[in-house]
Amino acid sequence: MSISNHALLLAFAMLFALLAPVRPGLAAAAITPAEWSAYKEKFLDPVGRIVDNANGGISHSEGQGYGLLLSYLAGNRGDFDRIWAFTRTEMMVRDDGLAAWKWDPATKPHIRDTNNATDGDILIAYGLALAGEAWRRPDLKQGATAIAMALAAGSLDTVGDLVLLKPGNAGFGSGDRADGPVVNPSYWVFEALPVMAELAPKGPWDQLAANGKLLLAAAMKIGPSSLPPDWVSLKTKPAVADGFPQEFSYNAVRVPLYLVRAGIRDRGLLAPFAAGMTDDQGRVRVVDIATGETRELLTDTGYRIIPALVSCVLDGKPLADDLRTFQPTDYYPSTLQLLALAYARRHHPECL
Amino acid sequence: MKPTVFIAAGTALLGAVVLHQGGYFSSPVTLPPVTLPNVAQPAGTQARQDGYPKPIAVADRDDLPAKADAAPAATAAESTVPASSQKVDETALRYFASKGDTKRLNAEIARLKALYPDWTPPENPLAVRKEGDPQLDQMWKLYSDGKLPELRKAIADRQTAQAGWQPPADLMQRLAVAEAREQLVNASNLKQYDAVIRVGSTNPSLLTCGDVDVLWRVAEAFASTKREDRAKDAYLYILNNCKKPEERYATVQKALPLLSRQNLDLLLATEQKTPDGKGEFAALRGDIARQSVANADADAKLVIPAADIAMVEQLAKDGGLASDSLLLGWYYVRRDNPQAAETWFRKARDKENTAKASQGLALALINENRPAEAEDILYQWRNTDDDTRKVYLASIANLLAVTPPPPIKPEVLQRMVQEVYANKDAASAQQLGWYADSLNQPQTASQWFKLALDWKPDDEPSAYGLALTRWKIGDKAGVKEIQTAWAGRSERIPTVGERSIETAALGKRRTRAAAPDDTSEDQPVRRRPAAQEEASQGEVESPRVARSGRGQPVPRGCSTTLDPSSLLPVVALSRGWCLMQVNRPVEAAAAFEVALRGGSGKTRADAAYGQSLAYLRAGLTDRAAISASQAPMDSDRAVEIRTALLETQANTAFDQGRYNETILALDERSRIAPERTGLMVLRGYAYLKLRRFADAEQIFRAAAATGNHDALRGLNDLNAARHPSAQ
Repeated sequence: MSISNHALLLAFAMLFALLAPVRPGLAAAAITPAEWSAYKEKFLDPVGRIVDNANGGISHSEGQGYGLLLSYLAGNRGDFDRIWAFTRTEMMVRDDGLAAWKWDPATKPHIRDTNNATDGDILIAYGLALAGEAWRRPDLKQGATAIAMALAAGSLDTVGDLVLLKPGNAGFGSGDRADGPVVNPSYWVFEALPVMAELAPKGPWDQLAANGKLLLAAAMKIGPSSLPPDWVSLKTKPAVADGFPQEFSYNAVRVPLYLVRAGIRDRGLLAPFAAGMTDDQGRVRVVDIATGETRELLTDTGYRIIPALVSCVLDGKPLADDLRTFQPTDYYPSTLQLLALAYARRHHPECL
Repeated sequence: MKPTVFIAAGTALLGAVVLHQGGYFSSPVTLPPVTLPNVAQPAGTQARQDGYPKPIAVADRDDLPAKADAAPAATAAESTVPASSQKVDETALRYFASKGDTKRLNAEIARLKALYPDWTPPENPLAVRKEGDPQLDQMWKLYSDGKLPELRKAIADRQTAQAGWQPPADLMQRLAVAEAREQLVNASNLKQYDAVIRVGSTNPSLLTCGDVDVLWRVAEAFASTKREDRAKDAYLYILNNCKKPEERYATVQKALPLLSRQNLDLLLATEQKTPDGKGEFAALRGDIARQSVANADADAKLVIPAADIAMVEQLAKDGGLASDSLLLGWYYVRRDNPQAAETWFRKARDKENTAKASQGLALALINENRPAEAEDILYQWRNTDDDTRKVYLASIANLLAVTPPPPIKPEVLQRMVQEVYANKDAASAQQLGWYADSLNQPQTASQWFKLALDWKPDDEPSAYGLALTRWKIGDKAGVKEIQTAWAGRSERIPTVGERSIETAALGKRRTRAAAPDDTSEDQPVRRRPAAQEEASQGEVESPRVARSGRGQPVPRGCSTTLDPSSLLPVVALSRGWCLMQVNRPVEAAAAFEVALRGGSGKTRADAAYGQSLAYLRAGLTDRAAISASQAPMDSDRAVEIRTALLETQANTAFDQGRYNETILALDERSRIAPERTGLMVLRGYAYLKLRRFADAEQIFRAAAATGNHDALRGLNDLNAARHPSAQ
């Protein structure tokens, strides 16, 4: 026990030195108390539930993962602990120990579908691992390890010679749907994958990360816009999956944010986002994959900051003033904005 | 290795349960023995009233083979340090005293005394002064109120603000146990049984008479994961240790559907006398017999005590519950005793004419070779669900196969034809072929055989029938075509044309009708000798051609066939409805089309609605969807059509193996209309096909709770899929 803990500590130390994501000692500065306070006022129910206010007040495992990550970045241990308590007792009730993907205050039981969402599981494990390391909390790291092991055991799929992330453990494989396997490129939380590798070293995490980039590059070639669709069918050559909006939309919009946060600076992957995901006023386009045409424009700061951050890390163009100010709107864009701001503060202060 | 969980009653430390590691809390420090989970329970847990229970430990022996802490009593003995050397934690005591909660205070004193024999309680416990830690008081209050995440936050906040502050170990233990309980209950509600057992086995202090509900849930988890002996042990633990009469009674009730009769008898052996001298489980005996018969209904090979059947028969006679008669009907029909089954289904049906009672009765009648009665009884229920439809179609196939052909009323024949067509039922289409053939209508017969073959391309008897009837009408090229297609796959098809019709027909194999379920699987369809004159029976309707009406009585205003295009839109509309009444949807759709094209306003809207219904009934879903979009409908009608479309879509997707789409369609449907039990079963099978076993089980169990036999069968199929080697 103590030996493996020690080894894990060492591994983490190396990891932080290599990737330099968020150094534990500086955690308190990444998100300001005022920002966190505004965020939680609007989206954190006192019972520890991150509320998707634009979606009927439900919670997702993804939201709980974001909540853990943000409260960690804000250095708020009390809020972190209550989010974790809710996640554990209410959502991590599956036989395999992963979280059910959706919790609805309006239904009884609150969980109706026991399927999981792998990005939610990854984010939860990632938040726990970071906090466990920074705050020297073996219980958190133990929780993170259990999730990483369960993901490695049941959430990865081998397609051809690629290791891919199933969106959920059930329902997306080649035997499940006519166009399966279906994947979601925005479920690759790239910055978390090296941490998963430390937690569950037997899992093929490095390959998963590498293949995620390959998948993304291929998905960006499906349509004329060079933007990936939210959901991709890999039955034959990559194509837009059936039954989902055939768009670059709310899911894929966070892909460049994840790339940047993970320290990836591959222009081939990032430049098309900087160039193609906005209109001339910096609003984020929801794009029809087949035609490349704009279907909708997203004006929320939390969306607009993403291409701006990409431009800044690639070309040194600072963020506009309004993007630096946090005013909570809806759960999802507000979350993305804090993740972007926290990253810029820590790694690219010149952007601010 | 599958964990086996060990349940033992420890006696070393009265009332004390030792917790080594509570839930996820994993301090490497060995914690002192502490706490009973009966003091200051969070909201939602049951307060214990009868004396301290002996502790029960569920420990995972396989996972922890050599660790002493798998046995709590031993751990307690080892880790209990002499009391004098320990500081007794009086936090809870002070809290209860300050609140004036005498009952909990006394319980806490008793608990501390049991733990620390040398400890002397304060002389006047109510006078114990608070030591002035309002923040800690607030934490105990959060705990008492069941606000566990808020308590976690309060603790972490204080630790942040006050470096070095540690919460009382007692509080942390209780918090961990209470959280484990929440997690266990949530997992149990979602039938995540492995998770239930995992949480239970790592939190032995959850498992006491103080919270029988948790014990029930653990027992259910064992029973549902093929560990019935462990389930039995858990139930027996309750009956041997826990005193509350209502909990004891409920324990046997809970065990009833989950344990074998043999294990159930072990539970019943613990029965105690009530003050009035009766056995405490007396009122349950009837339910036990019912469950026994229900088990036998689901498993035709299961042998149950005759006394159980006798008791249910007595209950059915005394109480007259339709459900009891149904239990008996299904019991007998699955044991090849259709006469007895008929009697009980009739009793059930007299009480309450339902689809299920009618379906059972029809099955019994089919098995008694009385398919005409079966058809007549089930016609009104034919669209209730897939299973009823299958039995209905089986009644048709069997009726058509009766030798010699019985007289069938034209309207009956017509409605059967419509159903065969709408359901694309190859078996009945084949029988219609033979039936037409026997009435010397080889042209019609060959069309039916052709249709049967379209619906079931590998159906050799239909191919044979088609070859034979083509030969009869002199279509030599047609015969050749079949013979080429079936070369090497049939012995008799190549012989068509070599012998006389009669001998060729006599060479036909006996064929079988579609089996509605396992009980009628072996029901032979009797074939009549080939060409038999039955002029009195009129004409068999050919499948694709509009019926001529020749030889038919004229019961209604639309019984004749005419080209509707000559009609005024309003007349065409009413003709459409009339044709729907007599179940001729294809013709009705044509009539509605005229009304739709020529009409306007309400006529047009009604026609669109009617045509969607007509196409739906004819099984032409795509066209129904188009019709529905032709004119605006009011919301009730729109919902009705949309519901039916989604239902058909779900069924079609299932038949074609697209199970995710089945679920998507059902999800969408359930947003606008409640899910009927039959569709729940469909959903269950879709999950089953997707190998989402837990979801399948959840839905099958929910449907089975309504007494649905398909759902019970679903559960069996689920077990078979989960444990293929056991089959």
